[in-house]
Amino acid sequence: MNTPAALTSGAPNDFPAILRHHGLSPQVEAIGSGHAAAGSPHALTPTHATTILAFKFADGVLVAGDRRATAGNTIMYDRADKVLEIDRHSLMAIAGVPATAWEMARVLEHSFHFFRRTQLAEMSLEGKVRALSKLLRDNLGFVMQGVGLVVPIFATFDAQGQQPRVYFYDPMGAQFEAADFAATGSGSPSVRAVLHYENTYSKHPLRKLRASDAVLLALRALETAAESDSATGGVDRRARVFPIVKLITRTGIATLPETRLAKLYKTNLAV
Amino acid sequence: MHEEPFRWVEAIANRREYIEDQLAPGSPIVALSYHDGILLFTLSRERQKLFEVYDRIALGGLGHPGDIERLRMAAIEVASTEGFARAADDVSLRRLANYSMSPALKAAFEQIYGPPFLARLLFAELGRRDAPNLFLRLDYDGSTHTNGGSFATSFEDFGVIAGKAHAMRQMENFLRGKDPAKCSLAEALKLAAAAWAAGHMALSDDREGEVPAMDRLRAHLHEQLAATSVEAAVMEVKAPVAVTYRSLAEGEARAMIS
Repeated sequence: MNTPAALTSGAPNDFPAILRHHGLSPQVEAIGSGHAAAGSPHALTPTHATTILAFKFADGVLVAGDRRATAGNTIMYDRADKVLEIDRHSLMAIAGVPATAWEMARVLEHSFHFFRRTQLAEMSLEGKVRALSKLLRDNLGFVMQGVGLVVPIFATFDAQGQQPRVYFYDPMGAQFEAADFAATGSGSPSVRAVLHYENTYSKHPLRKLRASDAVLLALRALETAAESDSATGGVDRRARVFPIVKLITRTGIATLPETRLAKLYKTNLAV
Repeated sequence: MHEEPFRWVEAIANRREYIEDQLAPGSPIVALSYHDGILLFTLSRERQKLFEVYDRIALGGLGHPGDIERLRMAAIEVASTEGFARAADDVSLRRLANYSMSPALKAAFEQIYGPPFLARLLFAELGRRDAPNLFLRLDYDGSTHTNGGSFATSFEDFGVIAGKAHAMRQMENFLRGKDPAKCSLAEALKLAAAAWAAGHMALSDDREGEVPAMDRLRAHLHEQLAATSVEAAVMEVKAPVAVTYRSLAEGEARAMIS
């Protein structure tokens, strides 16, 4: 094991910087950069994960994602988990290349713990939102080579302001705070249309929805996306593969159990 | 001077004496297993002395604040990078102490032209699944002492540190045979507070004696409570998330021992 940076002078105290110090950063310089750029005969077709959404409801924020990961026209995996728990009140949902996104989530999770343990205080919400922004910016080299595009959503319950917050990002790391909802990934146009319609023209704006209605709406939006987007996975009831749905409220994160989703699909969704 | 071995030994002995002098007033820290996990306890005047290191590892330290801070940062860094590069389950206190911390402390102590670490650390690790809890004392010279359970030593459900060696022995004598593993949190806090008092009383005596009776320990504790704050933290087996460390609010801990 390397000597801890903390025992040498000028030690970094930021977790990604420490990873770089030890040569452990997942964001290494791309090997053979430029040689296998997208479009060349040996281009790698990266795996993509698609369609995630988050919206605020009466008790907090709901985050959901389908389960499909694709590489070009091939379905790589139909049980991908794109909604990742970062801490007790924060979720990161990923659309894009899972290889990069899952590592980003791990860096983020460790960064928040590292900050709390070393600084003896929880990282501020703004700090957390920026930490993800910085990871995206550092990843730009991969994005330019066509192999590391990640477009995440970050959702959390702000302990200070006692309200849910939703942020979405562009691949370069710009952060945007969503007023009511956010969706990214290839199926997101349909999801955004559904959520916008419900929020604006129905009698039930998203922020007034009870948890059970919010869950139903999320599942229906994902079903709608799967209808027209081949990269968004539908539901496989026989194999019991359902979307991942998580709720963040004042008390923390709750994951909807499979049995509950199965029941909802049976009674409220035509599949 | 460096070429002459006996001078080197003499320099090391001087250095040891100096460090022991510096550490001598250090207020005791007690860690023990209780029913729901591990409790760490101390009374402190101004500085925080109990810290979270990783999901299942905590640290208590006495000595120079600057040195404790550097060692604490190093421990967190080693555990975090290991947990990131492999998995949280691969982070182990034995490896952290024996392969990373101890060599660094030994090197600093024996390089007589450089500054040593003025610190004595107590690490505690919550056992995974059926594994017993580990308590490990790490000294300024890199030497370690654990709560046993291997190499023909009997297992103990606690670990302590204090400014003087005989104060630590006094606390260990007090805790031996107490079987804290079945205690509730409130009972464990009372036991830890009494052990702290035994150690703290011994700090002002130069000679080793009998462990004072419980009522004398209580009286001493209440005297000290007036001028200090209670610092306590737990690592809970049944924590809902991977992170098991939780520090207790001062008022909550004080109410339970008073």
